[in-house]
Amino acid sequence: MLNYRDYLSYSEKYIQLAEEESLDKLKFLIPSILLSWIAIESFINNIMDDFGSLPEDLFELHERGLLLEKKVIFVDHGGEMGKFKLDYREYKRLGEKILFLIAKFSNLNKPYKGESLWQNFEDLRDTRNKILHPRRNIELELTVEKAYKYLETSKNIIQFVSTNVWRKKISF
Amino acid sequence: MKILFEENAKKSEKIEKLVSRFFKKVPTLENKLDVPMVIFQDGVNNSYYIKCQVLARIASKIIDLNAKIKAKDPESFRANRELMLKDTTYLKMELDAANGREFNDIIVEYNSEYNADKPLKVWGGQHRAHAISGAINSANRYHGFKVYFDLNEKQRTEVALISNTNMGVSDDTFDRMLEETTFGNTLRKWCQKIGFLGPKEDFPDVGSRSEKITVKLARSFIVNYYMGLDKGKTIKSEELDKNIYDPYVTETGVSIDSKYAEIMSEKRNKILSDKSLIEAGEKFLELHRTQYEAVKGNPKIRNRKAYRNKALVISVLCGWSYIAGLLQNHRARLLNHYMIPKTTSKIPDPLNAEEMSNFKHDSDLPTYRGLGTRQSAKDMQRLAQVFLAKSLSDTCTLDKQFLQKAVSTVVGLTTLKRGYV
Repeated sequence: MLNYRDYLSYSEKYIQLAEEESLDKLKFLIPSILLSWIAIESFINNIMDDFGSLPEDLFELHERGLLLEKKVIFVDHGGEMGKFKLDYREYKRLGEKILFLIAKFSNLNKPYKGESLWQNFEDLRDTRNKILHPRRNIELELTVEKAYKYLETSKNIIQFVSTNVWRKKISF
Repeated sequence: MKILFEENAKKSEKIEKLVSRFFKKVPTLENKLDVPMVIFQDGVNNSYYIKCQVLARIASKIIDLNAKIKAKDPESFRANRELMLKDTTYLKMELDAANGREFNDIIVEYNSEYNADKPLKVWGGQHRAHAISGAINSANRYHGFKVYFDLNEKQRTEVALISNTNMGVSDDTFDRMLEETTFGNTLRKWCQKIGFLGPKEDFPDVGSRSEKITVKLARSFIVNYYMGLDKGKTIKSEELDKNIYDPYVTETGVSIDSKYAEIMSEKRNKILSDKSLIEAGEKFLELHRTQYEAVKGNPKIRNRKAYRNKALVISVLCGWSYIAGLLQNHRARLLNHYMIPKTTSKIPDPLNAEEMSNFKHDSDLPTYRGLGTRQSAKDMQRLAQVFLAKSLSDTCTLDKQFLQKAVSTVVGLTTLKRGYV
């Protein structure tokens, strides 16, 4: 099974291929950027799973909803009538998951959305969205330098979560 | 021959007589030259000894390589490690002996209490002693002996330990010696009773080369069982899965582990009759044997020693025995724990050794070698959780998803316990 280290390594490999390519660099830069994003997704989802696997009563229902990516619904019929429960799959945004993990499990209590780390993360997210939701009026302006920057952003976000949640630096 | 006591040695009539008797029975160079013999006394353990030279042909007839810690106990086994007669270093030693090399500082005890026709019990330099014996037809030289007299068990053990300290002797050999000296044969008898050892079998002197339980493993099993038992008494059933458990590895080598010593001082007389502990041991042995056979006889899995003996990996054994103790007061889960994990066409061995070895959590270093491969606190916590989670069901298979969830639980609980919630 692949993990975030694999995705980061593939991303880097694609950037290197783009560097070697003289004409059409985009065919390597696009997968590289997606892989940088996937590395964060993989890392964060696995941490969410770690907490999602704990006994239910250690978390509030809405927290479990976020951890397990399920919708909290109000039951209006049957044996559980009048109670809240987790129901169908409801995908959560990656950024929200990170905000939750930091707020819940770290002692970082200052806003960090204005810092360059988060700004870079949002930049990576926007570029990823442009790739995944293409339109003729959206121009992709990708460069090797940008791809390296996104790769670095991916590593920095992973390290940020690791040091705050696990309180340990990880090696890539 | 004049016999003197060195100035730091306290005079003892008994020792003087023993030394005198030794010289009457064993011809030495000192006897032949009629030089005075000095008796020394060890400053640490007060044992008495002399230094003398004995001819190879004489020595070869009276040296005993099967020295025992408990001289009078017929159940006491040979204490030294096995001879490595094919080792390159030994072969060179043998060649040197045949070519006339004189060896020195062979450590022996003069003791006729057992195997009386071979009173020189070898405690240090058994390879040199063996080489000398093998070379008597080629060379008959004088060799230097340090001969101890009137040793008690404690002194004997220490002589054995200090004589072997510089020779790369395994901790398993030290453990075996110290175990017998300190606690007698209770642990060995317990292992024989369970079936870990044959009726007349002793612990291996080098665990890594054998496929048997070692002193360290047996001690760890017992310590973890009782630690888990104590912990289990304080936990309600509904709280069992909300904790991280910390199995314990007993120290090995030249000192006795303090936790093990504590348990033995309290329970030494009960261990052989503690039915629950015996049942745990038997169930664990069943798991080990099933794993062993599943790997040995199955072409679907590589027949690697590490896979065959997965149950005997220290973190697996400690995690399993801790949970066996923990669940003594939670009978239904204990019975599930004692069930051998199910195998499938894709998972041919109950412990799924290959999958465990491939396992890696995101928080692990890239060099992490997998579950149940190391003697680390983290690995033991994870294995304890694997077995605890397994005890929730009687039809459990240790597949990849199961292992992932168990480790996720440990990582999640560890983070939660830091108290930032």
